[in-house]
Amino acid sequence: MTNGEKSYFDPLVLARLSNLYLKARWVVEGIMSGIHRSRSKGFSVEFEEHREYSPGDEIRRIDWKALGKFDRYFIKETEDETNLRAYLILDSSASMDYSSNGVTKFDYGCILTASLAYLILQQQDAAGLVTFSNRVESFIPPRAKRSYLMEILHALEGRRPSGETNVGKILEEIAGKIKRRGLVILISDLLDEPEEILKGLQLFRFKGNDVIVFHLLDAAELELPFDGNILFEDIEESSLRVTADPQAIRKVYRTVVQEFVEHLRKECREHAIDYQLLSTSTPLDHALVSYLGWRG
Amino acid sequence: MSLFFLHPAYLYGLAAASLPLLIHLLNRRRLKRIRFPAVRFILLSQRRISRTYRLRHWILLALRTFAVLLLVLLLANPIFQIGAGLFAGSGSLSLAVIIDNSLSMKWSRQEEGFKQVREAARLLISSFNDGDRAALIPTDATEKKEIRLKGEKSALLKELDAIQISDGTADFSVALKKAYQALRGPAAQKEIWLFTDMALTGWERFSLAAVGQYDSLIPVKIISVAGHDSPSNATIKELKIQGQGVGVGLPLRLEASLINFTDREIKDLLVQLHVDEQKKEQRLVALPPKGESVVNFQFSVNQPGSHQGSVSIKKDGLAGNPVAYFTLRAQEKLKVLVVDGDPQTSLVQSESFFLTRALNPSGETDSSVFLPTVIIPEGLASASLESYQVVVLCNVPAIPDPFLPRLKDFLQRGGGLLIFLGDRVQTDDYNLKLFQSSPSILPGQIRDKKSLSEAAAEKIGKVNTAHAALQAFSDPLLREALLSARVRGYIRSESADLSPLIALGNGDPLLSEKRMGSGRVLLVSTAADRDWSDLPLKTSYLPLVQSLVSYLAGGKRGTFDAGIVVGDVRAFSYPPSYVGKSLRIVKPDRKEKEIPLVPNRDQASASFEENDLAGIYRIVSAANSGEPAGPSEIYPVNSPFLESRLATIDGRELQAKLNPLRTEIIPIESLSDGGKRTDLSLPLLVLLIVTLVSEGWLAQRF
Repeated sequence: MTNGEKSYFDPLVLARLSNLYLKARWVVEGIMSGIHRSRSKGFSVEFEEHREYSPGDEIRRIDWKALGKFDRYFIKETEDETNLRAYLILDSSASMDYSSNGVTKFDYGCILTASLAYLILQQQDAAGLVTFSNRVESFIPPRAKRSYLMEILHALEGRRPSGETNVGKILEEIAGKIKRRGLVILISDLLDEPEEILKGLQLFRFKGNDVIVFHLLDAAELELPFDGNILFEDIEESSLRVTADPQAIRKVYRTVVQEFVEHLRKECREHAIDYQLLSTSTPLDHALVSYLGWRG
Repeated sequence: MSLFFLHPAYLYGLAAASLPLLIHLLNRRRLKRIRFPAVRFILLSQRRISRTYRLRHWILLALRTFAVLLLVLLLANPIFQIGAGLFAGSGSLSLAVIIDNSLSMKWSRQEEGFKQVREAARLLISSFNDGDRAALIPTDATEKKEIRLKGEKSALLKELDAIQISDGTADFSVALKKAYQALRGPAAQKEIWLFTDMALTGWERFSLAAVGQYDSLIPVKIISVAGHDSPSNATIKELKIQGQGVGVGLPLRLEASLINFTDREIKDLLVQLHVDEQKKEQRLVALPPKGESVVNFQFSVNQPGSHQGSVSIKKDGLAGNPVAYFTLRAQEKLKVLVVDGDPQTSLVQSESFFLTRALNPSGETDSSVFLPTVIIPEGLASASLESYQVVVLCNVPAIPDPFLPRLKDFLQRGGGLLIFLGDRVQTDDYNLKLFQSSPSILPGQIRDKKSLSEAAAEKIGKVNTAHAALQAFSDPLLREALLSARVRGYIRSESADLSPLIALGNGDPLLSEKRMGSGRVLLVSTAADRDWSDLPLKTSYLPLVQSLVSYLAGGKRGTFDAGIVVGDVRAFSYPPSYVGKSLRIVKPDRKEKEIPLVPNRDQASASFEENDLAGIYRIVSAANSGEPAGPSEIYPVNSPFLESRLATIDGRELQAKLNPLRTEIIPIESLSDGGKRTDLSLPLLVLLIVTLVSEGWLAQRF
């Protein structure tokens, strides 16, 4: 993960992000009903870890049970409580494993997920991770602990894109697993039935979650820049294939994609879902900045 | 109105028009394969644009194909011509000018057609630029002159003037073959101009296969002078002579078949017979529409030897060959001495009655080539055989002693002897004088007389029709008639060395032969009258007697020759002693040709090919020896009668016959109009640019 970590946290990207740190925190926390970070440590119901007592620590935080067991003073550290529980949901279906410029949508999504996790955890908020294809591949519940970032990054590293996409069904499933309100960030190419996707996203909304959708598409998917007669074979469903002259259909193709995107954008807007289309050719930092800028 | 190309070789590039389609098909085969996540969008796009896309696609393909076609046509430099003006464009011109000089051209356009052809050809040659070359090719098949392209106008015009209407049929296959051979060299432009009256006869015999190698890219312009508006189109189809032989003073019946090619009756057609340049007879006849009539002439010749004649037809405005030539070779009458061994007061009962009637059926002096003289045996002693060619003994009892040496001398000199036996014949005398004496005259010794009842009469069993004397009996009817004869009495004879020419059913000879010196002897073992057989009552008797007598006299008496057709070869045959000598032949135009006699099997032979004029040809002498090359001979040559048929071939039919040659039929009037030629390069270039721009615009729309 070292290499991946490096790439996820490209200093240039992070440098630019850090300038927006406060703004980003403000925006996220603002979305979460004006809830700010936890007022103090130690009053959270979420136990995190023990550490040895040191002078100056509050007496009420000593774990007396531990004293009885180990005959030493331990301070019971608890997680900072916050209203922001962010679920980073990353599509890891086979269609994400497509690249026309060296960076697959999945790679891009991983970087974006990691960046967002970092951003969220830096704000002392809880970040969890869900990866899925046609089923939930991994589910890491949100934690606000900074060291939790490594766990998320490990989960991302261990995942390779495969399987078919079934976004609508998966969103329904994830919505069932999320018990507490939070922020749901979906990162996917959304190559599925738009109505199913929207139905899934609306479930999050019904449960009081805020939803942000990062719609990832490769530049080639947006532009269809190929030449000559080509047999297009679907990545997920190999039986789906079609011969076409991209030059002949390019214009209509772009319109079709545009209509798809606009439909999603419109529906998301109507259901108070933040929607952002990202191309893998767009620099990651630019994507985040533009998103945060858009969040205004 | 026509279209031709200055650089037709580029037209092979038209095959390149298929390139866009081929590329399209190849591209379809060479598919690039890409795994792609958004195939659903592609499918959706295709569904939306499918119809429009396909339409544009095919329009694009059509535009590309059209652009290639235009480019090829542009390179080929097309010239559009209205009328039939001369050449446009640049570069040297090679032209083969075929001129139909067949006999039918004589009557084309009220006899103006050939003149128009000459004028048009003259105009064509006169309009040549420097570097242009032409070859003039007459369609006359007998023309053997080498054909080559020439650039000098004066030489070409001189050559053109020398082309005359021939008496024969056009051979367009040979003419086109010569044209393609002449145009084999490189040239910027090549064309064949064929001037013709479109007469059906010449084109009917045309076959493109006979042309051999041809270049279908060379345009063939057929300049038509069709249009025979003559109200009468008739000719002499055939001349025949009725009867057998041609003799001095013998009445000859000449049968002339006339044919009318039009669908209107031709009335008052004057038909004349000339013999030895003297008018003998003339008739006025009417020819039915599209029908034939036969005109009979009767005449005779007074001198032995060769005679020439012609039958001609005359009428104002008549189109068609008006004359047919023939030749005669008349013989003196064949004098036959008939010795009647059983003369009776009633001629019918005389031994020689049937025989003399067979030799001269009408009994008139001038009605037969045979002139029989009948004597009784007693007259033999004083008879002079000098003036006779054949002696016939009919049931002569005995041979007078003084007659025997004269008879032998007669036979030694080439005379012929025909012996009929009979009941009066003294076999011992015959055997003694004609068989046992040296040299013997009889083919074999004669034996006993055999007399049979009517019922037991012998049939004729075998006839040697291969023998010159009996060739007439190869005809089934005649042979049947001969075989139906029954022989009741005969004298058996022995043929020592030869099988009999005619044998009875029991194998006994009925007719046998013996050669003696230059003469021949034929022995008939039965009687000449009805006493021993019914042969004289059979229809075969007359030809049998005449054949035997003719054979004994040395062959057929006189000949009639209706001649050969212009262009045919005449063969001559002489005894082997003439090998190395030459024949000098005088043609109807009095030009002389000499041909050598060469050995051919056991004879000296020659053949004469230059029978290119209708008329009488005369063989006069052997030039290198000063001696006659043989009997003086003349022969006629006639135009083919179908060449007088002025019906023309339909233009489409002609073009179908010439397919795949690039042909165009142009009325000769169009030449005089001058015509107009437009170089289509510029319009094609503009069209090509427009096409390419359209293609580019449409391609961008995809």
